[in-house]
Amino acid sequence: MTYLPLWFIPLFPLIGTILLGTIAVVSSGAKKGPSEGLVGTLAVLFPALSFAVVAILACTMPEAGLRETLCNWIDIPLFRADIGFLFDGLSRIMLLFVTGIGSLIAMYSIGYMHGDRGFARFFAYINLFLFSMIVLVLADSLLLTFLGWEGVGLCSYLLIGFWNQDIKNCKAANKAFIVNRVGDVGFLLGMLTLVTIGGSSILNYDGLAAFIKMIFGANMVSEVVLPLSLAGALIFIGCTGKSAQIPLLTWLPDAMAGPTPVSALIHAATMVTSGVYLLARLGLMFSMLDQVLLVITFVGMFTALWAAIAGLLQNDIKKVLAYSTISQLGYMFMAAGVCAFDASIFHVFTHAFFKAALFLGAGAVIHALAGEQDMRRMGGLINKTPVTACVMIFAFLAIVGFPGFAGFWSKDLILERLFVSGPIVGPLVYVVGLATAVITAVYMGRLIIMTFFGKYRGSKESEEHIHEAPAVMLFPMVILAFGAIFSGYLWADSIGITFFRDSMASVVGEAQALYAASNAVSHVNPVIFAALGTVAALGGMFIAWKVFGHARIIGVKGASTVPEGSAASWTFLWDYIHCAFIAGVNILAWFCDVVVEKVLQAIQWTLAAIVEILGDGASVLQVRKVRLQLAFSIAGVALLVMLVVFSGGLV
Amino acid sequence: MELQAMYIQVLALVIFAIGIIVAISRRNLFFVLMGVELALNAVNLSFVGFAKTLPAEASITGQIVPLFSIAVAAAEACVGFAMVIMIFRNKESVDADSYSDMKG
Amino acid sequence: MLLHLLVIAPFVAAILMVLNSRDDSNSSSRMAILMGVAFAVMSVALIVTGNQATAPMEWFHIPGTRGPVYYYLYAHGLGSWMVFLSCGLSLVALISARSTTGKNYRNFAIGIFALMGAMNGTFLAADAVLFFFFFEAMVIPAAILIAGFGGEKRITAALTFAIYTLVGSAPMMVALWYLLTIADNSLLLSMAVAIQSLPAEHQALVLLSFLLAFLVKTPIFPFHGWQAITYSEAPAPLSAILTGAMSKAGVFGFIAWVLPIFPLNLNYISGLMWLGLLTAVYGALMALRATDGKRLLAYSSMSHLGFAVAGVFSLSEAMLPAVLVLLVAHGISAGVQYFLMGVAERMTGTRDITEMGGLSGKNPVFSFLFGTAGVMALAVPGTAGFVGEFTVLLSLWDLGPLPALVGGFCLILSATYVLRFIQKVIFGKPAREYQEGTRTTALEGVAFGSMLVLLLAFGLHPAFVTNSLHLFDEATPEETAAAESLEGATAAPADEHPMTEDELRELDSTLAASGFSEEERAALMAQIRSMEETDSAAVQDSAVVDSLATDSSSATDTGSVVDTTVAAAAPETPAVETEKTEASENE
Repeated sequence: MTYLPLWFIPLFPLIGTILLGTIAVVSSGAKKGPSEGLVGTLAVLFPALSFAVVAILACTMPEAGLRETLCNWIDIPLFRADIGFLFDGLSRIMLLFVTGIGSLIAMYSIGYMHGDRGFARFFAYINLFLFSMIVLVLADSLLLTFLGWEGVGLCSYLLIGFWNQDIKNCKAANKAFIVNRVGDVGFLLGMLTLVTIGGSSILNYDGLAAFIKMIFGANMVSEVVLPLSLAGALIFIGCTGKSAQIPLLTWLPDAMAGPTPVSALIHAATMVTSGVYLLARLGLMFSMLDQVLLVITFVGMFTALWAAIAGLLQNDIKKVLAYSTISQLGYMFMAAGVCAFDASIFHVFTHAFFKAALFLGAGAVIHALAGEQDMRRMGGLINKTPVTACVMIFAFLAIVGFPGFAGFWSKDLILERLFVSGPIVGPLVYVVGLATAVITAVYMGRLIIMTFFGKYRGSKESEEHIHEAPAVMLFPMVILAFGAIFSGYLWADSIGITFFRDSMASVVGEAQALYAASNAVSHVNPVIFAALGTVAALGGMFIAWKVFGHARIIGVKGASTVPEGSAASWTFLWDYIHCAFIAGVNILAWFCDVVVEKVLQAIQWTLAAIVEILGDGASVLQVRKVRLQLAFSIAGVALLVMLVVFSGGLV
Repeated sequence: MELQAMYIQVLALVIFAIGIIVAISRRNLFFVLMGVELALNAVNLSFVGFAKTLPAEASITGQIVPLFSIAVAAAEACVGFAMVIMIFRNKESVDADSYSDMKG
Repeated sequence: MLLHLLVIAPFVAAILMVLNSRDDSNSSSRMAILMGVAFAVMSVALIVTGNQATAPMEWFHIPGTRGPVYYYLYAHGLGSWMVFLSCGLSLVALISARSTTGKNYRNFAIGIFALMGAMNGTFLAADAVLFFFFFEAMVIPAAILIAGFGGEKRITAALTFAIYTLVGSAPMMVALWYLLTIADNSLLLSMAVAIQSLPAEHQALVLLSFLLAFLVKTPIFPFHGWQAITYSEAPAPLSAILTGAMSKAGVFGFIAWVLPIFPLNLNYISGLMWLGLLTAVYGALMALRATDGKRLLAYSSMSHLGFAVAGVFSLSEAMLPAVLVLLVAHGISAGVQYFLMGVAERMTGTRDITEMGGLSGKNPVFSFLFGTAGVMALAVPGTAGFVGEFTVLLSLWDLGPLPALVGGFCLILSATYVLRFIQKVIFGKPAREYQEGTRTTALEGVAFGSMLVLLLAFGLHPAFVTNSLHLFDEATPEETAAAESLEGATAAPADEHPMTEDELRELDSTLAASGFSEEERAALMAQIRSMEETDSAAVQDSAVVDSLATDSSSATDTGSVVDTTVAAAAPETPAVETEKTEASENE
């Protein structure tokens, strides 16, 4: 049986990028921008085509996956890398929602970006992003994944700083790129470590798996576990950068400076989950690195808790969602930390739907309020924008884990896996996870209440203009809302559906079995976890209703959406830590510039001055009269000749 | 009577000395240049004189070299005079002693 | 022929430019660009046709030395790519300068062509004296161009540049002369042989003199005093050439001259590697603080080249292709950044990036190019910079995690200063009102765009660049063996008798069989015969050479490159071996 070539998938967004980029550059000088209809069609068409290819491949794919090597990339002594693609259970799931949600959000953006001067440019970036993301997921080697990895980082930079007239957006974009770069360097060094362990073929995922199996076969685990742990830890640093985990989480809240569809696509649904994807992809390697797994679990746990608490204090609707994204990513990392890769990918999958729906809903709200993002100036919107409100409420129910909704299935699955993972750490992490679930319900409830219930707190004249979003925006939102409700039923453990797990088993099953073999896992009835999770969700919602439902929220005058008082410093503690590093580098740079450079210049100047002084001294010997000089030179020659003659010749 | 090689050298020395003395003692630049020219030709003469002492084949080589140096001297005289004229235009003087700008 | 053309013809072109009218910049620019295109095409042809060498011609004899100086050009992968950089960047500079230099365009073009010829000579010379001649000759047209076309402090800049670099290479001249007094001639191999016979202190002294010249040229901390002022005061197209091609002469010198000639010990190697890394960090830190755009780019170049030098002295197996890709990538990306900075300077009338801003709204095409160039300088995967930096990091990782960590730190810093640069120049709102100068012309846009496309192409398929080095591996013995044949079979074992006429005829027919043309065979035969004549005189030297091969391979356990070069220097029958290599290449 022949399959569609895999390179079709990234090809379409690439064509889209080139076309739209050309349109953007060519039309940039013109008074009027290019036709929005044409650009919009192109922008949705190519991701949709790519989605179609993925869908066809997903249905026809054999169990073992498809592999395809396009061509050679780097071929030098010591190192060789190919450009090749791998389509298996893991990349299938990822690609399905990346291209699917990507197409939907591109469609949504047509409405959202209507009338913007950079319309074509925006969609060129979106297509470039999808291309990079597809390459990241579809790559069959770490190096090619890294290409996509930096590519999505680049697109994230371009899109955060999309409205580049405002220097604040540019700064946020720079921050995102630089913080990501720190992680990327970790990734790069991790790859180098792997290469030194097992040669360049180990960068290939299949090669890595073969290598790990070879190690087990030859019983050499203890010898390589240390360098492998180093590699794993370095790669994990890359994951913390891309997925905004402690300590590299500060860029994501700032990244909300970009257009809202971008926040939905890149900073919630797809790019930020690539760290989780990478952990799952390297599952077999991580499953033998106990120390690294422990670190991952605790990093995930602290991030989930930290970001949830920070989310409680935000006033900007997008910032709440940003912190909630970080918190949810923390869950995924916790799951990956106990080698529950299928559960963590399942949460990535459901999270993509409900978080994208939440962001698009928030975008529709911001659109309706003409750019207002401060929740303190919202309220009562359920009457004015009912569809948006419904979508957001469904997504809210999904994220808090209300029974039957997507988040319920995936989050409870993670919590269950956490509990059974080990004797001491497991229950501890479980308790923190459950507490985080309560806080999640509280801050998300706060968001919904402040936005949609109560009275409108903005100015009177702005109230007149509030309108429901156009159909082109509503359609993707509704679809995503459906996803937020039903996507969880792909793996509903309590009612016996394990479709999702089975489809992932061929990729991560081995790693999980390996981990389970070394860690005693006691089986507990899943219904108990489901019940506890439900209690947490309901409890959180109840608290939110009690606290925020009746509280009088004071409308604010200033333009700032930053939390007030000590809340700001509490939220941005990690920013302070980063600032300390930046200050260190700045001091170093200052030292180089002001001290070292000046000293070098002084030395240079001194040398030149000495030469000049010597020259001045030598010029004293010059005589003013030309004839006298002539006479002297003749006398000199005569002297030399006499010297030679009287000393008995030259030789 | 065979011409003694020594006489030629003495003659060359005398001419050379005259040239040098002229070049050093006269202040008029043209005389300085003429003195230099004279000294140069004295050296040519000495060259030819020495060449005469060699056997015939080798002697030819020695007599050719002065031809070169005459050509070079002509070129040098051209450049020299051109420079003198240029300087004269600036200074309006051919007094060698007034040319002392080169001292730093 | 190609080699002669690439080295001599630029000087001819410079003379031809004099024929143009001084005032009509249009006609002179047309002629200059046409010739520039021709040179660029030739340089591509040079890469495509692979390794080649000219017949060595005796040039002159330096008093006190033993052998003559040859006019002997030789192209291998590394040199060819550097020639490509010099020709390509010169072409773009000629295009870009049309809008800036105005009436004086003719003189500018004369200078650029002279500079190009000198650079090509530097990268193609197979003779040390010839190399040094061109190495010094580069400085003069560059300094004149700076003094003629530079910014406000151009005279200071030109003087600093000329004096600093010339003084820096003066010790090398003395060391070279000293080496020549003991070596048979000024080719690579005989110098490598000669250095072995020196006591260790003298070796170190000679090595340091060589190093100083290249350290200054690259430049490496703390010898970078000339760089910032030169690059910032020079006209932007010239800065692009200076950093993109000329500064490569330093790194090229390390690879092509220092490594093969000197038996380096571990202290030197690790010292130089750390010096390179220090330069990389120092340059990046200085770039962080720079407010003058061209100065920022100067420090960024310094950082990248420091990284390249660190890569060179990692001496891993992957070093050559890694450094080559890095150099090519840096040459193109730093070059295009300088060109674009020149356009920005032209448009806003200032070099101070804090006074720019908002160009993305005013001139989107320029900003697109500028942003893309910046991003490509960041070594994002898929661009040539990434391949270079990744492979260099790989080489550094071979030595241990610490050098690679420092390299990684540089990557982070480079992201910081490049993003700051982009933000200050094209984003935000204009910092002040200004009279807008000439915008990017279409021709310029195409030229810059194609440079960016090249970066992408080399990034996705670096084999374009690295494949030329597969030839280089075989080339080194070929070059050195050719050098031996010039010496009159110095390296031949003492008991080997001179070739008889019969053997020569046999060789001739073998050559004919393996597809050599009539002239080639004739040239080879003549060469062999001539070396036969000088054979007897040089026989006693051969003992030295033989012992050398074993000595050096045991002494330099770290220097794999040194090993291969010198060990390959003493094959059993050098002449025949040479031809075999050539024959296999021809097939």
